[in-house]
Amino acid sequence: MKKQSKPKVAFFDFTDCEGCQLQFANMGVTLLEITKLVDIVNFREVMSEQGEDYEIAFIEGSITSDNDVMRIKKIREKAKVIVSLGACATIGGVNGIKNRTPLEIAKQRVYGEKKETVNTIIAMPVHKVVKVDYFIHGCPIYIPEVINVIECILMGKPYVVPNYAVCTECKMNENVCRYEKDEECLGTVTRAGCNSWCINNGNRCYGCRGLVDNPAVDGQKDILLKYGLKLEDILKHFTLYNDSVGEKYDKELK
Amino acid sequence: MKYAVIKKEDLNKWVEHLKKTARLYAPKKKENQFIFRPIKDVNEITLKYIPTILPPKKYYYPQKEKLFRFKIKPFKTAKAIKAFEEYILFAVHTCDIAGIQCMDVIFREGPEDPNYLNRKDKMTIIGIECLEYCDKYANCTSMGNHVPRGGYDLMMVDLGEKFILHINSEKGERLVHGLAYIKEADEKDMLNLERVREAKKKVFKEEFNASLIKVYETFDKHFASKVWQDVGRRCVACGNCTNVCPTCYCFDVMDEMELSLNQGMRYRIWNSCQMDDFAKVAGGEDFRKGRDGRQRHRYYRKFKYPVDKFNRYFCTGCGRCTRTCMAQISLVETVNSLLAEEGELR
Repeated sequence: MKKQSKPKVAFFDFTDCEGCQLQFANMGVTLLEITKLVDIVNFREVMSEQGEDYEIAFIEGSITSDNDVMRIKKIREKAKVIVSLGACATIGGVNGIKNRTPLEIAKQRVYGEKKETVNTIIAMPVHKVVKVDYFIHGCPIYIPEVINVIECILMGKPYVVPNYAVCTECKMNENVCRYEKDEECLGTVTRAGCNSWCINNGNRCYGCRGLVDNPAVDGQKDILLKYGLKLEDILKHFTLYNDSVGEKYDKELK
Repeated sequence: MKYAVIKKEDLNKWVEHLKKTARLYAPKKKENQFIFRPIKDVNEITLKYIPTILPPKKYYYPQKEKLFRFKIKPFKTAKAIKAFEEYILFAVHTCDIAGIQCMDVIFREGPEDPNYLNRKDKMTIIGIECLEYCDKYANCTSMGNHVPRGGYDLMMVDLGEKFILHINSEKGERLVHGLAYIKEADEKDMLNLERVREAKKKVFKEEFNASLIKVYETFDKHFASKVWQDVGRRCVACGNCTNVCPTCYCFDVMDEMELSLNQGMRYRIWNSCQMDDFAKVAGGEDFRKGRDGRQRHRYYRKFKYPVDKFNRYFCTGCGRCTRTCMAQISLVETVNSLLAEEGELR
C-alpha cells in the first residue's frame, strides 16, 4: 500500500496567553499518537523549526491590531483548514473586555503617553476577519473535544459544536446544582461540549465557551432574581468572556 | 410467603447479605442532595431521602451507552457489551418504580431495545414506601404513585421497630429466603401495615385540582393556551427537566473514532426535546423553534400522547422537574393553571 503523506499542521498565536497551546502540548502520550497522523511543522511552544508550508492552521488568540489582520489573512490564503483554538480565537475571550471602553481611552489607560506608538483595534474573534472551518471553544481548550475535532478534520467531516447548555452535561454528571448551594453559575446559557469540566471539579461555569445560539434572556433574568443576584454583578460574569460577541445580550439585559 | 418482617437492627446485616448476591445501588447523600451510587459501606445508605438528582434510570438506560464497536477496514462490527451484571436497586421510591414501568412499556414496544432489556433482566428492585411527602414539589398522589402499585421484587414499609416486606416476585423471595432474621409477617404486622396506610391518607392529598381524566381532557383542549407562552417565556432551555425525568427516553446516536481513524464506537447519549436543535431537520427547518412549544411538548409527552398510545400517564409525580427547574416552572402549577383556564371557559 502506498504510504500517504501526512497533512502538515502549524500553530499560530495572536493576542492570548498561549495557555491553549500549552494544553495541547500537555496532552502527553496522545500528542505522540497525533503526530502519527499529522506532521507538526510549526509550533513555537514545543519546537524551534518554523515551517511555512502547511495545510492545517490552528489559530490561537484574538485579532487586535492591523498587523494581526494582515497576518491572519496571509495564513488563510495558505491553509486549507483554519481551526480557531480557544476562547480568545473563537469568541474574543477576555480580550473583549477592552471593547467595553472607547479605544482611545483604553489605549490611554494601558500605554499612557506612549499610546500613539501602539497600533490597536477592537478585539475580534478570528472568524470576524477570515473564514474559520473548525471551532474549539474553551479557556482553556478541553482535550477530549480537541481530539474529536482533529479526527473530524482528518476524516473531512464537520465538527458540530453543541448548541445546548452546560447544564445538560452537568445534570448527566449528576452534580449538585451550584444555584442549590447559593453559588452563581453561567451553565444555563453557556454552550456545552466541555462535559461540565469546571463544575465537576468544584468550580463554577464562567461562560468561556460562549453563549448558546439562542440564550433565553428573559428567563435568565428571572433566575438571577430568584437567587437574589444583582444585574450588574451578573453582567460582569456574562461579559468576562463574551464581550466581543455579547454586546447584543448586554443591551437586552440592561 | 407473601409478607415478611425484619427488625431494624438487622437491616444492615441483610444489606450486607444483598451486597454479596449482586452489585448494590442505593441512595446516599451528595452535599445537600441525594444520588444513587454503588454501595461499599452499608452505613452510607440513607432510607429517608428527597428524590435523587437523577432517577435510577441511569442504571438501566445510561447517560452515554456503548452500543457496538466497529472497524472500517476490513469492515466489522461487534457488540460493545457482551455480558450484563446482576444488580440490585435498593430503597427505590414508588414514583421511581413507576418510572421503570413506563420505560418498560417504551423499550418493549417493537422493535425491542436489547440493551435495555438485558439490563432490566439483571435488575432486582427493592422499593421503600414513603409515609410522608419528600418535599413540597412532589405530585405523586394525583398520579397514584404514592402507594406501591407493583413493578418491584420487594417493597419495604416502615412499621416503627421493623420493616414489613411485600414479596412480589420469585427473585424477591430468594433474597429473604433462609435467613434467620427475616420472618413471615403475622396478623399483628398486617394490622400495623393497614394502620400505616390509613394514616397516609391523611397526609397525602391530590395535588392537581381535578382528577387525572379531567387533566387529560384539559390537555386535549388547551394546546393553544397562553399557559404555554408563560412557561416558554420563563424557560431557559437548560434541559434539566428532561434529564432528571424518570420517563424521558430520547437519545441521539453518535460515532466516536479512535485516533487510528479505523476503529470506533457507536454509542447513544441522552437527548431532549428542550434542546434548541432537537426538532431541526435538514434544510434548517425547525418544527419546535420556541421554548414555549418545546415545554408544551414535554407536558404532552407526560399527560396526553402516552395516554393515547399506551393508556398510561408518563408523569410519575416524583417532582424532579419542578425541583430542578432553574426558572421555577412548577408542574403542579402549570397543570392547575390549565385546569383553571378550562374552568373559566365553561
